[in-house]
Amino acid sequence: MNNMKRSAQRIFWLITLMFFLLLATMAKLTFFDRQEISSNAYNPRLNYVDNSVKRGNIRDSNGDILAESTGNDRKYLRSRMAAHITGYSSKGKTGVEAAENFELQTPHNEVLQRIQHIFSGTPVQGNDVVLTVDMDIQSVAGNVLGNKKGAIVVMEPSTGRIVALQAYPDFDPNTVAENWEMLRQDENSSLVNRATQGLYPPGSTFKVITALAAMESYSDWERFTYECTGQAVFENKVIHCYNNRVHGMVDMKKAIATSCNCYFAELAKRIGAENIRKKAEDFYFNENYPFVLTHSMSQVVLQKKSEENEIVETSIGQGKTLATPLHMAMVAATIANNGMMMKPYIVDHIQYYNGDVSKTTVPEKLKQVISVEESDIITDMMISCVTEGTGTAAQIYGIEVAGKTGTAENATGSDHSWFIGFAPAHDPQIAICVMIENANEGSAVPIAGKVLQAALEKYQ
Amino acid sequence: MFDLMILFSRYLFLFYIVLFLWEAIVYIAYEQGGYLGSPSRAVSIQKGLIIWIHVTAFLILAYEPGAFFFNFKTLAVALAGLLFLLLSMVLLDKFYYEGCPLIWTGMLFLLDISLIMLQRLKPELAVRQLIWMALGIVMMLFIPFVLRLIPRFEVFEYVYIIFSYALILSTLLFGTSKYGSVNWLKIGPVTFQPSEIVKFLFIFYLASVFRKRVELKELLITGTLSAGIVLLLVLQKDLGSALIFFMTYMVMLYISTSNEILFFAGMGAASVAATLAYHLFSHVRVRVAAWKNPWSDIDGGGYQIVNSLFAITTWGLLGSGLTKGMPNSIPVVESDFIFAAICEEMGVLFGMGIVCLYIMLFFRGILVVIRCQRRYYSLLAAGVVTMFAFQAFLIIGGVIKLIPLTGVTLPFVSYGGSSVLVSIMMIGLLQWVNVYCEQHELGYQNTEQRYTEWGDNSHE
Repeated sequence: MNNMKRSAQRIFWLITLMFFLLLATMAKLTFFDRQEISSNAYNPRLNYVDNSVKRGNIRDSNGDILAESTGNDRKYLRSRMAAHITGYSSKGKTGVEAAENFELQTPHNEVLQRIQHIFSGTPVQGNDVVLTVDMDIQSVAGNVLGNKKGAIVVMEPSTGRIVALQAYPDFDPNTVAENWEMLRQDENSSLVNRATQGLYPPGSTFKVITALAAMESYSDWERFTYECTGQAVFENKVIHCYNNRVHGMVDMKKAIATSCNCYFAELAKRIGAENIRKKAEDFYFNENYPFVLTHSMSQVVLQKKSEENEIVETSIGQGKTLATPLHMAMVAATIANNGMMMKPYIVDHIQYYNGDVSKTTVPEKLKQVISVEESDIITDMMISCVTEGTGTAAQIYGIEVAGKTGTAENATGSDHSWFIGFAPAHDPQIAICVMIENANEGSAVPIAGKVLQAALEKYQ
Repeated sequence: MFDLMILFSRYLFLFYIVLFLWEAIVYIAYEQGGYLGSPSRAVSIQKGLIIWIHVTAFLILAYEPGAFFFNFKTLAVALAGLLFLLLSMVLLDKFYYEGCPLIWTGMLFLLDISLIMLQRLKPELAVRQLIWMALGIVMMLFIPFVLRLIPRFEVFEYVYIIFSYALILSTLLFGTSKYGSVNWLKIGPVTFQPSEIVKFLFIFYLASVFRKRVELKELLITGTLSAGIVLLLVLQKDLGSALIFFMTYMVMLYISTSNEILFFAGMGAASVAATLAYHLFSHVRVRVAAWKNPWSDIDGGGYQIVNSLFAITTWGLLGSGLTKGMPNSIPVVESDFIFAAICEEMGVLFGMGIVCLYIMLFFRGILVVIRCQRRYYSLLAAGVVTMFAFQAFLIIGGVIKLIPLTGVTLPFVSYGGSSVLVSIMMIGLLQWVNVYCEQHELGYQNTEQRYTEWGDNSHE
């Protein structure tokens, strides 16, 4: 009989354990997964509007209002300039409006505010969301981008703070409801945030990753040189350097500076498919990194059995390789930050109706992707790209810039132009990625220079 | 003003359930030899809290802007519910004098939550549920008489199992399908789930066999017959019930034999069977896929679980406030997903309180198992506790995506006539065992032991 009691006691502890698992899961859902789950576009509660609550403002890092509510109307004061950041809130919600919906909608000290409302008529206010985005830089980016299709991402390498996130085509969030049918069927997909959701072949900017893969898994990389004749044949694929330019004898530094395709194609064979994929995956390719705005996953398709031409194409950012401009900005920022990749963030803090600040975002490390020495070496190569290579148009007077250009063939028309980089090269304050769709060769480079300069003037 | 009341009520509901649980601790502490307050006063406070939560919730639900402020129909349901609660309290004390008061108050609390939520979700169901509850209580009151009339009902072991098979097979032959499972029988206007009644018979069957010494022969016979029932339930796509029956068998076997090896061997066999079922039955694969990644198929298989997660995470710890959420956007919210609705409107903390309430109920149940000196009665009580525990775990775990979803009801809370009826009857059985053991001094050699038995193994 005593045995039976002991067994029954054990069963009780088993049941208790199971139920504590339930409690732990509920806590995890509420404290860790809440924002991601509840801001999903399929959540019908996103469209729930409590008319008794005045929705909070969205502000930029200077405190200027980007979106505010008057009565039942939502006004976007900077209209198109910040459209892809604020998103819209009339036909469903996107952007920060969706991601921070519940902060905007939830009044702090609600009971107190409602009592005040009854006695003094002050509105019951949701919380303000203060962004890391600086509209001064955001506007510069918007102006230089003009009406070229593309995206510009500016971030602070040491923290992951996003300073500007510009994408064109854009839309006017004030009139989304009126123009809904037009916007929805728009063949330019104006509603898509190209900076975070657009997937493009990264072209030669990807060579930075190939080079880093070589440093890690091809011990002879420093001595490896290649005689470039403008083109090279691999199995059934011919690789050309841009405009069939002949680069002569190149080592890695010169190959990065001049963006020599043949060198990297030959190098990639030696590194091997799996090592290139592994390095790219260290940089969060084929994996989703945490970020509050809807974003796409960049991809690298390589296996052990991949054919030679696939390896070669991938190494120069072509083939099935795809990346978002935000992600390539993160790659540049990682190199700038001594190889430490930071979690990108766009919400700096929440501000209550009474001015109190709360939930200030603390910069978070994602991963040490490359070593400090590797980041120094690749920085050096990226400097020569800007001083004497393909990136000279990004030079800024008096400041050393490190960068890498890209020209990506694609199925939609003429090549995409890329630039990733950071400055000052030896004390990086700002990292940048510029991507222009179907542009002329190198058109991203001077744009990057202008935005970098504006950002540095403000932050140095 | 009314908004403010609803806001305030969220704190009130939380206060009710916390105080309710605290009074349970006061009672248990007294039994264990500590003193936090008078135990009889603790139970009175619990009863008072049940009435308070009923009144508070129905005042909110019945509110209607207009001349009379209240909807009379809702008020009528509220009054009927109040009458039911008060009468139950009086009658249960009379008929089950010496029954565990915490089990009664716990059950009534859950039944009241059921009434409140159903009135909120689908008012027409609240009335029907109330009728089933009343019927359940009335039938339960007869259990002591019925069981007294047949003094040696443990000898009917084969009758129980034959009836079990008959009922389950009858659904295979004449059953109607509901929510994708063919486990409903229709007699006249009433549809019911025979598997609910089989729960009762199954516990009686196993207790009858296991009261004797369990040799290989018993093991083989009960094992085969139970596996048969489990298999039939799987064939009817009633995976939840299949799991509950299996776990009940394993736990009752373990308690009667105290053989860990047998227990783990059984679990191992079940894992093999589960893997087999996964490969054999597509409906099992669908469930597992929807659990592993519901986000990849939000419109299809993941729809239910995703909507449940939206409801739970959107409003946070305190919930939206009664009537302020959107629980009706969750499919089958009145039965399988009622826990999500509770978390949405009354808050995740309140939901956690409900989980703790279940733990408290199982604790009291296992105490009955431990105190009872006769194997047969002990095993009956163990069967009841296990059935409840795994049923509650399966559905709460499913709703919060801890485990794959299996459609079973949340005991006492979900809508469902046969579920509520059988749940109440099973609690009646548990209490009857408790009373019977006390009255026949089967359980207690002396009163001191009564208060020291749990958790103190020194005299074992």
